[in-house]
Amino acid sequence: MKRIILELRDVWKIYCMKDVETNALRGINLKIAAGEYAAIVGPSGSGKSTLMHILGCLDTPTKGKVLVDGRDVSEMNDDQLALIRRKKIGFVFQAYNLITSLNAIENVALPMRFSGYGKGEAFKKARELLIKVGLEKRMSHKPNEMSGGEQQRVAIARALINEPEIILADEPTGNLDTKTGKEIFELVESLHTKTKKTLIIVTHDLNLAQRAHQEIRIKDGEIVGEYARSGHKGSEGA
Amino acid sequence: MNMLDLAIKDLKEHRVRTILTVLGIIIAITAIISLGSISAGVNELITSSGSKVGSSTIFVTKRFDMSMMSGPPGSFNIGTISADEIESLRSIAGVSRVAPIISKIPGSMFGEVDAIDMNDLDLFGAADLALKEGYWPDNDEQGVVMGSVAAGIFGASSGDFITLNNKQVEVFGIAEEGQGSFDLLIVMPYAYGEDIYDMQGEANQIVIEPADISFVDEIKNTIEEEHDDLMAMTIADALKTAQQSTATLNIFTLGIGFVASLVAGIGIIITMYTSVLERRREIGILKAVGAFRRTIFKQIIEEGLILSVTGSLISLAISFFFVDLLNNVLLGGTKIAVITPLLAGGAVAYGVILTLLFSVYPAWVAIKTDPIDAIRKG
Repeated sequence: MKRIILELRDVWKIYCMKDVETNALRGINLKIAAGEYAAIVGPSGSGKSTLMHILGCLDTPTKGKVLVDGRDVSEMNDDQLALIRRKKIGFVFQAYNLITSLNAIENVALPMRFSGYGKGEAFKKARELLIKVGLEKRMSHKPNEMSGGEQQRVAIARALINEPEIILADEPTGNLDTKTGKEIFELVESLHTKTKKTLIIVTHDLNLAQRAHQEIRIKDGEIVGEYARSGHKGSEGA
Repeated sequence: MNMLDLAIKDLKEHRVRTILTVLGIIIAITAIISLGSISAGVNELITSSGSKVGSSTIFVTKRFDMSMMSGPPGSFNIGTISADEIESLRSIAGVSRVAPIISKIPGSMFGEVDAIDMNDLDLFGAADLALKEGYWPDNDEQGVVMGSVAAGIFGASSGDFITLNNKQVEVFGIAEEGQGSFDLLIVMPYAYGEDIYDMQGEANQIVIEPADISFVDEIKNTIEEEHDDLMAMTIADALKTAQQSTATLNIFTLGIGFVASLVAGIGIIITMYTSVLERRREIGILKAVGAFRRTIFKQIIEEGLILSVTGSLISLAISFFFVDLLNNVLLGGTKIAVITPLLAGGAVAYGVILTLLFSVYPAWVAIKTDPIDAIRKG
């Protein structure tokens, strides 16, 4: 029996706007095992972003429980959630979300510095990770001096610096052209194939979703299908 | 965690805004230090000149009336006490010495000419006034001793002649620098003053030494009862009056400083608040990748601290420059403005504390930023 690293139990997210209630998530039940490769897929407005925010501990549910590595995070405060995000989860966002005033090394080093490491140590590790993602020549470039693909590589390095168990990638190739998108997708996938991290990809692209072991389809805030595959197709990233 | 480098980076990123905010702080703190230094300087000047005269010495002057304001604009005639009045003062019981002084303002200049019996210089507090060149005139000689600032203004050295009341007057000596209000005086023997100002036997002020300190109040009362037009004051009374006016000056100074600092403070709030709003996304990202609220809070406060420490230290430097300019260039050495350590330290501390207070609200807005809002796509 595999260790369950992320679990949602009857999770509801209800937004209230001018007395009108919107159910973004309606009673989601979900388990993701450690070292798993999962894809959350659904059309826009399906609630997949809300689901990803809750899985990433960026938000808490209105109702229900969220367990990260067995710990209930649904009642945690801002700082407790920040600590979970910092230690357990690496984010890769569609819009890269780098700090524009900082260069590549400084961006990558940030989460490690939040953990109390000095500049020297954090920069050393940031440098190693930037070499791993193929940016050895872009270390002191600022985001606006880099291409989209390069920025996403910086974001991937940043996601890895605190050695989290979970990588959460939200449409990681959404802003990229096909060729660059493919390269980035393979880099993200390799985090699972090479380092056995738990990888959760949020996408609207069914072809990409089918590469995952566990495919979770979501529509109107509910899970409408869950498919498990043994091994995944075409992992050229090896 | 120390993220000071991030705070500095951010301030550099918005250079113009940073410089304008620091400028606001500089104006406020410089206003406080400069105005405060004049209060402190005037206070010290009054106290130091007062301490040279005995506390029982009584000063008698004409009571102020509007006729003294007559004459060309800007002139001020110190009332004349007649020879008869001076004689009647000599006869008051308990009076040991009476020194009439002719006091005039030399033209439109800042300062005073005093003619006094050279044997009574001690009553005037000038007995031990050291000369840096020349010598004191005897009572029957025709010459003056000038305070260092007065000499500077006239550009005179001993042996030169200056013009007083349209008459050529020889300079016998120049006093050492740093003698408080004496720096501004021109002193001559009483008899010579009578000639120069054509005031035979008369005076503008009279210094009285009582036989004993216990007679002071009685003498003062007798003078004011017998002479409606005369006013008698001891140096203690004068100091009290002067200190009351410096207290008023202090309140005035603090008031201006306070208003200026409020304006600067609002500038700080606007800068920091705008900066926080502009960086909502950035702050959200920092939170998303694991920054604690206190880390964000600290960074905003640190930015405020950098602004205020920089601004306050620059203000201190500018104030020292202004005070030096005022004392040494404009007034030729009179310390009318003094930056005491308390004033310097207090103003810098005030600037820093004020900025910290005004950074709290923007910092609070910053920690309220929701990471989800910030990272929403496109």
